[in-house]
Amino acid sequence: MSQLEIFVILVALGVLVFVIEVVRRRRLSEGYALLWIAVGVAGVVLGLSRHLIDRISGSVGVSYGANLVFAGVFLFLLVVCINLSMHVSKLEDEVATLAEELALVNGRLDALAEGAVDLREHDDRDERPLV
Amino acid sequence: MTGLLVIIPALNEQDTVADVVEAAAVDLDAQVLVIDDGSHDATVERAREAGATVLSHPFNLGVGAALRTGFRYAQANGFHTAVQVDADGQHETTEAKRLVEVVDAGADIAVGSRFEQGYETGRLRRTSMRLLSRLVSRHVGVKLTDTTSGFRAFGATAIDHFADAYPRAYLSDTVEALMLAADWHLTVEEIPVRMRPRQGGQPSAGSLKSAYHLIRLSLVIALHRFRRPRAGGSS
Repeated sequence: MSQLEIFVILVALGVLVFVIEVVRRRRLSEGYALLWIAVGVAGVVLGLSRHLIDRISGSVGVSYGANLVFAGVFLFLLVVCINLSMHVSKLEDEVATLAEELALVNGRLDALAEGAVDLREHDDRDERPLV
Repeated sequence: MTGLLVIIPALNEQDTVADVVEAAAVDLDAQVLVIDDGSHDATVERAREAGATVLSHPFNLGVGAALRTGFRYAQANGFHTAVQVDADGQHETTEAKRLVEVVDAGADIAVGSRFEQGYETGRLRRTSMRLLSRLVSRHVGVKLTDTTSGFRAFGATAIDHFADAYPRAYLSDTVEALMLAADWHLTVEEIPVRMRPRQGGQPSAGSLKSAYHLIRLSLVIALHRFRRPRAGGSS
């Protein structure tokens, strides 16, 4: 095993340990952890299979194996980034909706405090605790 | 007021929710709380007309979050028992009553198992559910056959803990909740229950998605013992 292979595998193992540690501390949800654990495992596998990479890249017409790996990893990270952007967009929408709801609830509470509105004017629900 | 709260998480269940609410209010003599998890149909109106208190999430958050809202409501309003009932009409109130009796007799959590009454699922699903039961039973220290059952009753201590830290993710809301209960030294008891076939609505999750959820859950179970405890464990 070459020094390079050992280095690649150590980095991948480091990623694995780090990911599991942040999940353990509940700072990363399990769904995302699964993704990054897969990345760590893939790193170890790629580090161990240089000949396989060379053979695959030869058969698809890429002369230098590392370029194939770079291209693959680049594409993968691009997909992850787009996916994360989509998640952030959804979160933004949800935060906005929450803030709007809160504003409406506060408005109703203020009106209620001034005695201007009876809650039951809005909808004829039964008497219930205010929580 | 009997101190019993019926918690009904509901998502687009306008066809069945009214019947479920009425049956629960009459048969269990309890206050009925419907958590509307972002429905786009008339679920909220139907539930209110039937006499339920309704809390609406502004958008869909999942069954786990709906239950946590229910537990927080139960805690804030001093209910000492809560029973979770599905809005699609699968859970019979006579069976819910038996679950509540188990809690009244001293258990912190009563789980209704679907298996002894001939619950039918695909083979893959059944195998994974059996494996799950084995793993969770070992952690909880009680023999459980149906760890993903959403037909459960909770005592005051369980309500307090879960109001702080009920897991939100799909499958975690049922399975991980049991493991957390064991960490908090709550007693879990399982009894067989009868279930009706669905009256309406769609069953949850396709096969690719459930495979993902199972893998996710495996990670949760594998790491559970080593993880920092969720909030709520200390109270």
